[in-house]
Amino acid sequence: MIGIVVVSHSPRLAQAAVDLAVEMVGVNGPAIAIAAGAGAGVIGTDASKVAEAIAEVSSPEGVLVMMDLGSAVMSAEMALEFSDDPDLPVRLSSGPFVEGLMAAVVRAAGGATLDEVEREARGALRAKQSHLGDEDPAGLPVDSGPAAEHTIEVTLLNPDGLHARPVSMLVTAISAFEATVTVANLRTGRPPVPANSPTALLTVGARKGDTISVAAAGRQAVEALEAVSELVGKGFGELAAAHAPAPRPARSASRPQARPQGGAPSSGPLGVSPGFAVGPIVRMQEPVNEPGPAVALPLRERAAAAERIVAAAASVALALRDKAARVSGAARGILEATALMAADPGLIDAAVSRVTGQGHTPERAVWAAVGEVTAVFKEQGGLLAERVSDLHDVRNRIVSELLGRPAPGLPDRVEPYVLVARDLAPADTALIDPTVCRAIVTVEGGPTSHTAILARALGLPAVVAARDAMDLPEGSVVIVDGTTGEIVVAPTDDQVLRAEEQIRRVITFDGTGRTRDGHRVQLLANVASPDSVAAAIEANAEGVGLFRTEFCFLDHAEAPGLDEQVAAYRQVFAGFPGKKVTIRTLDAGADKPLAFVTAADEVNPALGIRGYRTAWQRPELLDTQLQAIAAAAAAEDADVGVMAPMIATVDESVDFAARCAAHGLHNVGVMIETPAAAITAGPILERVDFASLGTNDLAQYTMAADRLMGELALLNDPWQPAVLRMIREACQAGLAAGKPVGVCGEAAADPMLAAILVGLGATSLSMSPRALGGVAEFLRGVTVDQCRDAALAAVAAGSAGAARSAAALLLEPTRA
Amino acid sequence: MTNDTISLDQLTGWLTRFRDLVTEQVSYLTELDSAIGDADHGSNMTRGMDAVLEKIQASPVVAVDELFKGVGMTLVTSVGGASGPLYGTFFLRIGTSAGPVSTLDAPGLAAALRAGLGGVVARGKAEAGDKTMFDVLAPALDAFDADLVVFSDISSAARAAYSAAQAGRDATAPLIARKGRASYLGERSIGHIDPGAASTSLLFQALAEILDKE
Repeated sequence: MIGIVVVSHSPRLAQAAVDLAVEMVGVNGPAIAIAAGAGAGVIGTDASKVAEAIAEVSSPEGVLVMMDLGSAVMSAEMALEFSDDPDLPVRLSSGPFVEGLMAAVVRAAGGATLDEVEREARGALRAKQSHLGDEDPAGLPVDSGPAAEHTIEVTLLNPDGLHARPVSMLVTAISAFEATVTVANLRTGRPPVPANSPTALLTVGARKGDTISVAAAGRQAVEALEAVSELVGKGFGELAAAHAPAPRPARSASRPQARPQGGAPSSGPLGVSPGFAVGPIVRMQEPVNEPGPAVALPLRERAAAAERIVAAAASVALALRDKAARVSGAARGILEATALMAADPGLIDAAVSRVTGQGHTPERAVWAAVGEVTAVFKEQGGLLAERVSDLHDVRNRIVSELLGRPAPGLPDRVEPYVLVARDLAPADTALIDPTVCRAIVTVEGGPTSHTAILARALGLPAVVAARDAMDLPEGSVVIVDGTTGEIVVAPTDDQVLRAEEQIRRVITFDGTGRTRDGHRVQLLANVASPDSVAAAIEANAEGVGLFRTEFCFLDHAEAPGLDEQVAAYRQVFAGFPGKKVTIRTLDAGADKPLAFVTAADEVNPALGIRGYRTAWQRPELLDTQLQAIAAAAAAEDADVGVMAPMIATVDESVDFAARCAAHGLHNVGVMIETPAAAITAGPILERVDFASLGTNDLAQYTMAADRLMGELALLNDPWQPAVLRMIREACQAGLAAGKPVGVCGEAAADPMLAAILVGLGATSLSMSPRALGGVAEFLRGVTVDQCRDAALAAVAAGSAGAARSAAALLLEPTRA
Repeated sequence: MTNDTISLDQLTGWLTRFRDLVTEQVSYLTELDSAIGDADHGSNMTRGMDAVLEKIQASPVVAVDELFKGVGMTLVTSVGGASGPLYGTFFLRIGTSAGPVSTLDAPGLAAALRAGLGGVVARGKAEAGDKTMFDVLAPALDAFDADLVVFSDISSAARAAYSAAQAGRDATAPLIARKGRASYLGERSIGHIDPGAASTSLLFQALAEILDKE
């Protein structure tokens, strides 16, 4: 009978594995010797012990050595060199430690040869793999390495890629399965990271359009991958939200400021959530300070100290989950994501090993461990860098917990106040009570920071990048203008009164858009689904300038049928009897991918098959839609116009008009969203009845700047003179042809820009219903000549900032 | 006058000085290892070298091979981690190469060190750029050999080896680990000096210092 040697870092592990194996054979088993540990309680392996163990069980039939990992393998190899008996057959097995040992002991007890036992041990994973359904398809025994894996490759569709929210959804989804999952970004080619670690996942840096490789092993590997695939395919639920224009920083109207061209949006206070507020300043508690260096902990205290980190992190995670359960919406998601980060095993392990290895105090270890991760985040920049405050929040909470201090957080107040902070952690922002906190001012942050997003969601005025805000004395009253970014310190009574008036005033639109001197401009509403009809009617919109039809197609595996479409369109048309409703045909692709028309593998989807181009491939979709529109229009009394998105050539316009005519639709137009369409607007308007400018895409394509990239926000500004010139080109073509050219992009919702658009020749402006009042009021305050002069000046300006300043100068005075 | 041999006493001094250096730098080594490993390199190396010195003092030796075989075996049985078999093999092969002599001349030392490197490669299967002790050992020995050809001075060669070792150690920082536990970290191992490379550099520091004393 052969002898068996068991090599392990841990004597307990080795003994337990041997006990398990010997149960199978009782006293009739082979001779087994253990070589485990490096003596004196040291976890490790010792080649001389292995050599002794081999000698101990040596038999003429040979010896099989089972090892755990790492130095065990090297020590075993080394032991072979120590052997006194070069003729003794000794084999090192690459089989799995527990299963292989079990198989080897059983086979050896049955009198098998060394070769047979070795082969059995090497293939010992087969039973488990077969049981779990992940057997190697070739049926070959797995020689070494991890269990067979399943891998899928999926392309990210959601606008921001694997940022904090999708990461937390991914981690949560995967945790439900018995599977070990890793994720790698094929674009960067970096090694895979564990999918149970949110911080590691964030470092993957996967953006929209990147293909990630997801590998899973374990009993429910397939199910885990299905869950991942579904999440990614649905864009983590963010695809529908992508309809809304990317948040754009409001810019100062009363205090125009020069901004670096193309630089980061970081100079000067930036209004990021509109509205006025008056109140005394309350500063956030100063952040938790970096724990000072301390004498290294004695070895015997380290285990207990490390345990405290685990406990503190768990308690912070629990508290955050508790808070998450008490709120809803975006706030909840962010709190849940923060809770996941607090429980991140990668982070905790890193901190723990600093305690056990270097004897750091727990608070210092946590500080340093987070520091390492944030350094990586900062290095990668972009969206990842914005997540740094999330991690610092987690760090501060755990350190406070370790120091026995109350969790850092919002002031506990019942009287109204204006919150001033260096930077707000999402977990803090999420808990702000908008009935008490009246405005948010931060020193750090940008237009896409959590502070900005959540403030807008809460309807709280917010100003970020207010560099000197922390110097403002606690309790001093300020007026905050979340549109301009202006902060008035110690305002006069008069200023306070006026601000309070502004806060109370709800500007209503009387239903007829015009300038002070009576120049008519139709003010219309953008409608994205039947649900938003009511808001448009309430806001007294003169009609609908952009009825987006994507809602009908989203969440569908195939295009909706004729009847379904007719019913949906009728709901909107019915809201505007006798009024204009301009419906746009399906605009899929780029930031609005639809499974049945959008190829997932486009290198550059913004320049790919999108908008009207999808009709090249699926003309029947367009025909069905036009048929549905015609039927719905016939059944209702609205004045229906139809337009096609993303037109680039005259031929496309001709083609579209012909298709519409075939369905009896005669008020036909096109969207002008490409520079190509803008500069050929003349010939295009010879073939169609009207045009509508989509300023978001027009800015993106004119400036060659991805509108979904926060870093390019300054380029993606409709105030850029180049964009204004494109708009002018199209509007002038309309005036020459005597055909209406409107604007339905978000630019129309900026009151001052709306005046410029009127000055450039736009005949209608379509915007989200809540913007109607402000735009109508602004236009009522200026004459059309003022608008034209301001437009001329803006177009001639050297920069977006200069355009805005010039416009402000020419439009402001007469309004007062 | 140039030195061209290293005595048994000097070799013992080398090991003693190496023990002192790893002891002085135990927290540095552990810190490096805690960044990309299991935070035990400092304690493993000091435990191993303490055992080596204890053994040398307990039973003095008369030949170089005897000395290094003892050193290698002691490290193998006392270190625990992967450094045990790796350093152990290194010294065992040095002993085998040197043979039963009481002094080594410069080419003899060079050959012995080279044999040690061969042992490390055989044991760890590391290659250049894997972010391991190999990335210090190989350039240090190359420098040792090259310097010897030009100056025929064992101390000068040891100094050259030490300075190549330092450069090799520092050059491991930007590498991605491909061996050992650090390899599980992949990209995250970037920016950290390999602890094995750092202790190997101390080995050459010790050799240069001991040869300079004469």
